[in-house]
Amino acid sequence: MKRVEVRLSIQAVAPLLDLIKAVADELRATLAVPLALSEADAELAEVWSEDLLESQRDDCDRLFSLFDQEFFSEGVVAFDRDNAEPVLRACAALRLRFRATRLAEIPDDTLEALEASSTMGELNAEAQKAFACFMFLDELQKIILKYLDPMAVEEDE
Amino acid sequence: MILAADKTHSSPAAGDAVQTESPRVWRVVFLNDAVTRMSYAVMVLRKLFGFDEPTATKHMLEAHENGRSVVWTGLRENAEAYVFSLQQWHLSATIEPDEAS
Repeated sequence: MKRVEVRLSIQAVAPLLDLIKAVADELRATLAVPLALSEADAELAEVWSEDLLESQRDDCDRLFSLFDQEFFSEGVVAFDRDNAEPVLRACAALRLRFRATRLAEIPDDTLEALEASSTMGELNAEAQKAFACFMFLDELQKIILKYLDPMAVEEDE
Repeated sequence: MILAADKTHSSPAAGDAVQTESPRVWRVVFLNDAVTRMSYAVMVLRKLFGFDEPTATKHMLEAHENGRSVVWTGLRENAEAYVFSLQQWHLSATIEPDEAS
């Protein structure tokens, strides 16, 4: 994968970063996807949890390293072979956490309708910001997936 | 990281005389979630299991429709490693014994 530079709207994205950071901080100690192992595998789950949390923290750190001086001056973030997959994973983890916490009250079908229309509907201000973060992280995933496999994202549409 | 190894369960009543081995074949079960982008799940299944696109898509759709899809069977140690990798990509999965084995 060659280096890909993407220009984002600083005005649209910068106000979301504080909330995304707050959710990422929660993921330093909580897995985005709870382990689905049986009770008999409790010892295994304990060992895995530590390793998975470390991986999750590293991925979120890679995501936030995108928003450096170049982003705040030019609005540009860059993906390459080294950071594409960690950022993709971080987006997945953060979206799951947003859904499980800040957007937990919204039924699945309502959220799907909101995603399809990309409108905020009747959400209150707090949920609107969470939904904007949720959609922004989805857009980042789409951009990366498109460069990893140009055909892949079209199948989602 | 992987504790693995097939476990041997002994019956207290039977003492040392009778031991039942757990199945030698285990399934990796990929579980659906309502949040993750489909193309992301397909990409991860292809990457981890070496599936071609139609096979990965079939498993993704099966999980989407039925809540679960068996994506791999084999030794428990390997099955655990696959589940760990899926969890690293934030895809929910579990292992279960293949009772037919």
